[in-house]
Amino acid sequence: MGRLASELRALLGEGKVVDDPLVVALYSRAPDGLEAEELPEAVVFPESAEDVSRLLAFAYRRGVPVYPQGSTSSLGGLALPSGGVVLSFERMDRIREVSVVDGVAVVEPGVRIEELNVELARYGYMFPIDPASAAAATVGGAINSGAGGMRGAKYGTMRDWVLGLQIVLPDERGTVMRIGCRTVKCRQGYDLVRLIVGSEGTLAVVTEAVLRIAPLPENVVVALAFYERLEDLVSAAVAIKEEGVQPLIMEFMDADTVDIVVKYRGAPVEARGHMLLVGVDVNREATGRVLRWLAGLLRRHGASRVYEARSMAEAEERGLLDVRRALFPAQVEYARRALGPGAQALLEDIAVPPSRLAEAVEGVLRVRDEYGLPMALGGHIGDGNLHPAIAYNPRDRRSVERAHAAFREIMRLAVRLGGTVSAEHGIGLLKREGLREELEALGASKALEIMRAIKRVFDPKNILNPGKVV
Amino acid sequence: MPAAGLRERVLEEAGRCAYCGFCEAACPTLRHGPHRGYGPRGRVEIARRLLEGLSKPTGEAVASLFTCLLCGACRVKCPLGVDVPLVVRGARSLYLAGVLGGRVGARPRLRG
Amino acid sequence: MSALDQVLSLMAEYVERTGFPLPVPKGFQYRWAEPLGLPRRGRVYLYTGALYQLAPYVEALVEQLERVEERPGAGIVLRLARAVSRVVDLSKIAVRPDPARVEQVERVLRSVAGLLRAAGVEYAYLYEDDLYSGILLYDMGLDEAFERHARRVYARLRERGAEKVITVDPHTTRALRQVYPEYVPGFDLEVVSYLEVLDEALGAGRLRPSASLGLRAVIHDPCVYARFLGIVEQPRRLLRAAGVELAEPPRSRRMTYCCGGPAEAVLPALARRIAETRMGELAGVGDTVVTLCPICLVNLGRAARGRARVVDAAELLARAFGAG
Repeated sequence: MGRLASELRALLGEGKVVDDPLVVALYSRAPDGLEAEELPEAVVFPESAEDVSRLLAFAYRRGVPVYPQGSTSSLGGLALPSGGVVLSFERMDRIREVSVVDGVAVVEPGVRIEELNVELARYGYMFPIDPASAAAATVGGAINSGAGGMRGAKYGTMRDWVLGLQIVLPDERGTVMRIGCRTVKCRQGYDLVRLIVGSEGTLAVVTEAVLRIAPLPENVVVALAFYERLEDLVSAAVAIKEEGVQPLIMEFMDADTVDIVVKYRGAPVEARGHMLLVGVDVNREATGRVLRWLAGLLRRHGASRVYEARSMAEAEERGLLDVRRALFPAQVEYARRALGPGAQALLEDIAVPPSRLAEAVEGVLRVRDEYGLPMALGGHIGDGNLHPAIAYNPRDRRSVERAHAAFREIMRLAVRLGGTVSAEHGIGLLKREGLREELEALGASKALEIMRAIKRVFDPKNILNPGKVV
Repeated sequence: MPAAGLRERVLEEAGRCAYCGFCEAACPTLRHGPHRGYGPRGRVEIARRLLEGLSKPTGEAVASLFTCLLCGACRVKCPLGVDVPLVVRGARSLYLAGVLGGRVGARPRLRG
Repeated sequence: MSALDQVLSLMAEYVERTGFPLPVPKGFQYRWAEPLGLPRRGRVYLYTGALYQLAPYVEALVEQLERVEERPGAGIVLRLARAVSRVVDLSKIAVRPDPARVEQVERVLRSVAGLLRAAGVEYAYLYEDDLYSGILLYDMGLDEAFERHARRVYARLRERGAEKVITVDPHTTRALRQVYPEYVPGFDLEVVSYLEVLDEALGAGRLRPSASLGLRAVIHDPCVYARFLGIVEQPRRLLRAAGVELAEPPRSRRMTYCCGGPAEAVLPALARRIAETRMGELAGVGDTVVTLCPICLVNLGRAARGRARVVDAAELLARAFGAG
């Protein structure tokens, strides 16, 4: 048993520390094939803010790196350790309070988003941030990565839904404090809550969150359309907005990716061409009228095929969401057919102003062809967020290098189009260079200096998730 | 001895896991166990590491494998359809047959 | 040798020596059938695999060993190993099951027998050759011991002239249908669950209810039926025909939630917590819970503590189809 682990046991209690090497390895791998270069010495399982406080005070004194983790489902290496200690929130998974009157849920960081939604559904409410990983992703992880999701165009991202936080600082006392409010309106000087959201666990450790919640839509009509020409699809998406409608979801997949899904996963509907999936929330009485309008619009803009559903339940039953949902497994399957069993998919996360989506998609496809890399393309068209998935083999150096080169190329494309290198996944290990280039393009190089200064104020010894973001 | 080809079959299946974690919320044992090893993603990764020879069996690894209910809820949730019960049962068999390295003392336990 | 290893070897050794994974009295597996006078020879056999009959003994052994050891929450494996090391002669470990539980599982089996007869199915019973399937050995990864045992079981079934067997629980059904063919050369028995047999008879009009139960019950799908064998709608059709208004728990059918039972051999405290979670879900939907597996029956029954009545589907069906 390592010395650090025994000290941690003495500090926190026998049952809260694990240093078995095979268990430690479970906290050192991410879904995009990234792995820790150096295994952590131990994993710590806090059960309270008090535990976290003690750990951070200890880590501060001893200069031990601490890597906070939720479910390690993030992409881009946000939560990967390199030595040090992993701080896993598995045991802090309670929903403390749901108040419909105040419109908030108070939760511990280890609650999974899907589990929160199951609970909120009992009140007729939801938490609208729905990353594709919601089944696994925790609230704490979503806060730290600044997560978004399919409903981003309508509901924004985590920064719009976190009202208050309890955080613990990496200082000599492991200071515990609350920031923010329990109200939507809140002007507490500089907005520290929004600073922490998306900070990737590099500034402070979140131990509790006051989240805003939203009523479940009364009904959702769904249309699944396929287009031969990409411009037609984009014009349909634009027209929906021009008519003053803000869909709940508006998802896109390019024709080759649709083929991949059909080939490797099968599809319950005839799927050919570029896919556009639109869900619009409606009052029950408006169901027929809105669905007719939506399907008509999609057809007028050249859809070769449109499937309609009068409710989410009907859409589920007929499998209209299956094609979109199969994106991730299809990306992985595709990567493996192309490159062998160990292959994974490196997921890009660019966003461009929706008006420039067609250019972005064409640019991405050009990079794909130039590099000759297997790539699948999907994304959230409503908010201009694209997720090209580049197949690579994490154990093959050349493959890794080429994938990273293509990855960088696509980030540059986003910056050129006035977009961003990361919409909702975060900077982590993979996009630090991209972030620098993006800020330079904005003439905001000084922003990085400010960020580094902020990091020093919060974390003077650079022990919290070191090596990420800045 | 376990059936011929079991090792290859289990390794192939374990190797298909992308580590997304979608299976975990469905697992009845994970929420009561001391760490991620008591859930499907952890068990599959433990099996993979053992079978690839990256690691010798440890007490926690063996406890993780033997506390699985083989209930299969995870397999329904897995986007890639990884047959987790096949991996776990196969890893148990290979471990007991001694082909993964020596036997070790294991103490299955609840969290806390 | 570690404690876990000891328990596993013990289990294997028991099966090797007695055909059953723990100490049981001779003839315990066919006592339920004695009053029925079922034929001894035929081509179609009712094969229980003794899992219903074993369930009260497993329950008692786990409780006994939990009492032996003072440390609450510690692994059963450790306790069992200690108990075993004290009693070198395995036959000296006596297991005393709860008589009410024994009566309950025997009633379930008699119900199945009666239902098959009501459906006009001709079958014989194996009596002393109604051996344990060995599925626990397989699940635990004791492949060699399982294979030896499975071959013996199959040989015995062949000696009796079996061409087809009707099973009564999910684990035995899975063992014979999906696992035996991989381990037993030349395995060629047709394996059907009594639920499949009855459902078919119901559909064909050979099985008709003589009474409507007029009760409401929550159905708990056993994992192995729902996820490994696809037996989901058959029990529902049968129960509805019996006049049972079925309520579905939040997690049902393919997404059903385990009763915790399979953890009992390794960590009973874990089994209990899971049973508690599941029972909470089920009791939230209704006060009668209907199950289809002896392990679920015992585990959920113990976790119920007055919140709900846990019954086996066969018992309900027998009452409605005049087979009681």
